Amino acid sequence: MILCRRLALAVLVAVVLASCGGTSAPTEKKTDLFRIAIGVDPDTLDPIGQTTTTVQNIVDMAVETLVTIDERGAVKPLLAERWETSGDGLQLTLFLRRDVKFSDGAALDAQAVKLNLDRMLDPSLKVPLRGIMGDAIKGVEAVDSRTVRLTLKQASAPLVAALSQTTAGILSPAAIRTAPNTYKDVQKIVGSGPYVLKEFVKADHLMMTRNDAYWGRKAIYQAQEIKIVPEAASRESLVLAGQADMIILPPVADLAALQRDPKVKVKLADSDRTIFIAINNLRPGPLQKPEVRQALNYAVDKKSIIKNVLFNAADPLDAPMAKSLFGYCPVGSYDYNPGKARSMLAAAGASDLQVKLISPQGRYIQDLEAAQAIAGNLRDVGVKVDGPAKSDWPGYVATITKAPAENTTQLHVLGWAPGYLDAQQQMEQFLSLRWPPKALATSFYKNPTVDTLIQKANAGTDASARKQQYCDAAKQVWNDAPWIFLWTQRFPIVFSSKVKGVGSFPTEKFYTVYAEPA
Amino acid sequence: MHRYLARRLVATLPTLLGVATIIFLIVHLLPGDPARLIAGLLASEQDVARIRSQLGLDKPLLAQYVIFLGQLLRGDLGVSARTNASVVSEIASRLPYTVALAVISTVIATLAGILAGILAAARHNTRLDVLISSVALFGISMPVYWLGLMMIIVFSIQLHWLPVAGAQEPLAYVMPSLTLAAFSVALVARMTRSAMLEVLGQDFVRTARAKGLVERAVLLGHALKNALLPVITVVGLQFGALLGGAVLTETVFSWPGVGRLLVDSIFARDYPVVQGVVLVFAFLFILVNLAADLCYAYVDPRIRYR
Repeated sequence: MILCRRLALAVLVAVVLASCGGTSAPTEKKTDLFRIAIGVDPDTLDPIGQTTTTVQNIVDMAVETLVTIDERGAVKPLLAERWETSGDGLQLTLFLRRDVKFSDGAALDAQAVKLNLDRMLDPSLKVPLRGIMGDAIKGVEAVDSRTVRLTLKQASAPLVAALSQTTAGILSPAAIRTAPNTYKDVQKIVGSGPYVLKEFVKADHLMMTRNDAYWGRKAIYQAQEIKIVPEAASRESLVLAGQADMIILPPVADLAALQRDPKVKVKLADSDRTIFIAINNLRPGPLQKPEVRQALNYAVDKKSIIKNVLFNAADPLDAPMAKSLFGYCPVGSYDYNPGKARSMLAAAGASDLQVKLISPQGRYIQDLEAAQAIAGNLRDVGVKVDGPAKSDWPGYVATITKAPAENTTQLHVLGWAPGYLDAQQQMEQFLSLRWPPKALATSFYKNPTVDTLIQKANAGTDASARKQQYCDAAKQVWNDAPWIFLWTQRFPIVFSSKVKGVGSFPTEKFYTVYAEPA
Repeated sequence: MHRYLARRLVATLPTLLGVATIIFLIVHLLPGDPARLIAGLLASEQDVARIRSQLGLDKPLLAQYVIFLGQLLRGDLGVSARTNASVVSEIASRLPYTVALAVISTVIATLAGILAGILAAARHNTRLDVLISSVALFGISMPVYWLGLMMIIVFSIQLHWLPVAGAQEPLAYVMPSLTLAAFSVALVARMTRSAMLEVLGQDFVRTARAKGLVERAVLLGHALKNALLPVITVVGLQFGALLGGAVLTETVFSWPGVGRLLVDSIFARDYPVVQGVVLVFAFLFILVNLAADLCYAYVDPRIRYR
């Protein structure tokens, strides 16, 4: 009996000692493993099937696209070394690099690109983010082994930028048809990227190993592990305990404390996500008047809410789109002015305005908390605010996407983040063709001048003319105030002081391929 | 005994059918369009419509119900709308983690709870009794969420002893199972204490003491066995609850269990997975209750099942 107890004690001590060795911080300059923690459990890694930027980050490590963007968001070559648009804008020809091999050894050629693009365009498959690629592309043709020609239904200037999206990623043709993968559903991705997917344990982690045959600059860490940690406080604990080298989206209230902590560094990366309160412009009553909507804009103290509620993880909007988009120009600011708001409401005969405000919770940084502060601002200028009422995201989307006749919203908080950095996808919010239930222009805004400008810019081929058209449209939108314009939120990344080279893109993506020990 | 078992198992079928119908109705009546959620805000109406028909959601509700029941009779729980994988494989890959955690924490809770309960009863109205009862009260009232994060701060961030997240190493089991056990320990301890106190006042205990048995034999050999019935009921119910209700613990410790699968699926309106998980939970709960009933007969020879 005593022997047994001693044995048990010895085993326990051994286990504890072994574990201490296992979880202690890695020695300096080791490049065997880089550990990341994210919050979302990937539904699928199939480039055509995924829908979230977090998942795109992982897919992008292994699967490359024809073009990509740089850290500021400008389009640059990747698998295609250059491209040409025909004079009438109806043909886009892409010339592929010669030196690219997939990680299964197959060479990249035009047939492989055609197979992938055809699959992405196949109407029988579930491709949520096909977007304008589906609208614009009529056919894909492999002209020769390294030339791919896209025939278009109509000229589409943003198409090249759209091809930088993970949805248009190029998989090895053999992998698409090798079990467990099927043409309909690819589970194990094989691409040409700097890392290779090694293992995916659902809801737990993914393991990527370095592609030593990569055609470009090779990654530094031999492997990257992506842990799936849904709780923000637990992600924060991971990086503080030295069990992760990088996390995204810590609890935002802890940002200041993290910034002071010498063990970690905080990067508040730029994001193209605009946060706004959509005003139902069709709602009978005062909300139909632009002056009333402008007054609501003056009533909200954006700067102080960003400082006190969002812990500085946002920047006030000065246009109806983020600064990183092609087509952005600064168009104005509704500086906090409660006195002006009050007198504008009185002048418009809306002193007794009553509104209902709804907000999601946990979808955007401090969304409901900000909505509460905004409700307070509106009450300060005499508006009677009912809310903010919250609901879970599925119910929320169902409420705000009802057709005009059944739509009962008045004010609702929403975020909008284009997948590629062209104003086209952002300005859909102001295109009357895109009202629900067709799409998500949920403020039901309509201005024929704006409609025309946007449609011209979308189809145009001259870059400077397009830019001007988006800019003109943005000025008109700003003046008509279909939204309460709030802010673009930042994308917080926290990484250990022992690493450097953690990058980001303005599309809410992080970039760790060239991370290295500090 | 075998006939009893067979009868009980057959009786689960109508229960499961009822559960299946209720959960089908609940998920389909929830606001939210699964196709729009899968497609995301940026997707076009045509793509959303296409996804809706691929998921079979464009059919009338009754037709969807008939298809669902037909699949169920063939043992097919359908395909996840989010991941395209079969619901059975989704649940099968998560269930072992949940069961392992539930078993470990139930064992911890049962052993520690019964021991603490016996001690408190044996030292009735002493400081030890008060201490155990207060700790138990603390355990019952403590939110698992808070307890989990506190343990992470102490054992991971400060002491660097235990992993914060995941289930890929033995040490990863320590904090989640202790967190889960905390509530059950307290419950079992309180139940054991009150059952023991009741039994200790009975005649056969006085007889045992009168014939000169040492106190340990009185407590463990005579009183405990008679006090165990209500404790088994509590342990059975708790185990059943742990199999289905460990969502918070699974979230705090990033445990890849079924609870998180259920919550993720509800937020994505992934109807087939929600239905499948609830059915599996219901079935497990019935099995655990049946096992508890069979334990009664083992502990109390007067109970016979026919």
